[in-house]
Amino acid sequence: MLKQKVIEIHGEKVIQGNEACSEAAIHVGCKFFAGYPITPSTEIIEYMSESLYKNEGMFIQMEDEISAMCAILGARWGGKKSMTATSGPGFTLMQEALGYGIVTETPTVVVNVQRGGPATGQPTFSSQQDVYQAKYGSHGDYEIICITPSSVQEMFDFTIKAFNLSEKYRTPVILLTDEIIGHMRERIIIPDCIEIEEKEYVKRCEEPFGRDDQHIPHAGNFFEGRNILVEGQLHDEKGRRIGHIAQKSGEFIRALTGKIRDNHKDLTDITYKYLEDADIAIIAFGSVVRSAERTVKMAREYGIKAGLIKVNIIWPFPEDEIYRLAGHIKTVIVPEMNMGKYCLEIERCLKKSKVISVPKLGGNIHKPMELFEIIKKEKNLQ
Amino acid sequence: MRKDIRIAGAGGQGVILASVILAKAYGINEHYYVSQTQSYGPEARGGACKAEVVVSDSYIDYMKVESADLFIAFNQFGYEKYKEETRSDCIILVNSSLVKTDPVNEQIYKLPATEIAETQFEPFTVNIIMLGGLTKLLPKLHFKSTRESIKSNFSNSMAQINLEAFDQGYHYIESHYFNNLHKNCS
Repeated sequence: MLKQKVIEIHGEKVIQGNEACSEAAIHVGCKFFAGYPITPSTEIIEYMSESLYKNEGMFIQMEDEISAMCAILGARWGGKKSMTATSGPGFTLMQEALGYGIVTETPTVVVNVQRGGPATGQPTFSSQQDVYQAKYGSHGDYEIICITPSSVQEMFDFTIKAFNLSEKYRTPVILLTDEIIGHMRERIIIPDCIEIEEKEYVKRCEEPFGRDDQHIPHAGNFFEGRNILVEGQLHDEKGRRIGHIAQKSGEFIRALTGKIRDNHKDLTDITYKYLEDADIAIIAFGSVVRSAERTVKMAREYGIKAGLIKVNIIWPFPEDEIYRLAGHIKTVIVPEMNMGKYCLEIERCLKKSKVISVPKLGGNIHKPMELFEIIKKEKNLQ
Repeated sequence: MRKDIRIAGAGGQGVILASVILAKAYGINEHYYVSQTQSYGPEARGGACKAEVVVSDSYIDYMKVESADLFIAFNQFGYEKYKEETRSDCIILVNSSLVKTDPVNEQIYKLPATEIAETQFEPFTVNIIMLGGLTKLLPKLHFKSTRESIKSNFSNSMAQINLEAFDQGYHYIESHYFNNLHKNCS
């Protein structure tokens, strides 16, 4: 259930994406942060260390990202909303514990401010190379919620959304941003009121992992008067191990993935522009949206019927909505700051359209002119 | 109105800080839409560094600078690297203590910021002196707005020296290039 919370110090600010993310986390009630500093996410850690101290929370700089991820899971079971922030190399280390968070159905938020990879890669340059890692990084069958902001205002708004969805679906949520958005400063508006998801848990519940009709478990926290076993093996509604029982294990995985798959409508977040009459469209997410938006405006000024689809929640993949919006569009362009990954999902979904992948490597964002040239070429206007 | 401003220099010269103060001056004190971005290497000092500020009276879609309306070079390398990526009517401001420019280009404003910083203030005030000169050249930006932005970015003791350096940069450009056109400095 969403509850209103008034923010006393609201209004205009010029702040960095990383700072906006941290500020939103504080407002939404995050009281625990564990992390290990890494460019380009360090500002989040700096901000949280100071803010949590002032807001009666706890900040720990851990020895590495493995322990950071473990600590935030523990903190949430202790009853406090928790978060960590990292970049590619740290996100890699977090994958094992991320899987643990998924199987134990622990609400928490992991921010990945992407930089160029693999390995140490390009510490100060941007990328969108972790798109698949966010979905498939940990082992086993699971579904993840992954949100991609494309402005500093969205860093604020989507961090709140990430916390709310993690609480609602009891799962770790990935806020997948990149160096450009993380380090960019823009004027944003801190609202005077935000909505916060607050679940009412059944205390002394006999079946802490029993599920409601949306497959979401009603487990609460530790220290609320019930015996509860929280561990990484597959478990039944009482928390007892069931890894040795094939049928029950299968049912568990179906419920674990079902709580996200079956609620895909609630988890679809797409904004679009100029699509009514479009015969060519750009589908983008994250920082690249900004180039795409300019390109579409340039094309419209030129007389080309171009449209824009901006995907805000990239995982679960909004298959139905993308098909509904773009199924009839002849040509779809998918610019990404990687070798062309998300375009594969788009191709799978839009079988009748010509899907053009526009990869961009090296750390720079697509220039609007580059994308415009592709549109002109497709329209035989060169 | 959309103005694309690019500042180039070396890591450690305060390129990014100058751009942040500028973005806050426009965004908070003048109520414009602003986007400030940067690009730098992994080194703490040295290496190429670039910061960009886009100012607009409407929503900013593409937040990077393609062709600059205003280009500020803190060192020779930055000047050489980006001097071509400018519009034909681009206003160029250089730190003339470190940058040698093409003599035929009359649109270049020269401010010996390193020299002023080292002789009158402290070496670290170079960026703020440049910001002073830049404020004089920028449209829709009041002297007072940038001053307020500097004040809010530094502690009291540091604000004083930076404000004096800022005034010096502003008045240098004003007295050398705008003898008869005084901007309201109150």
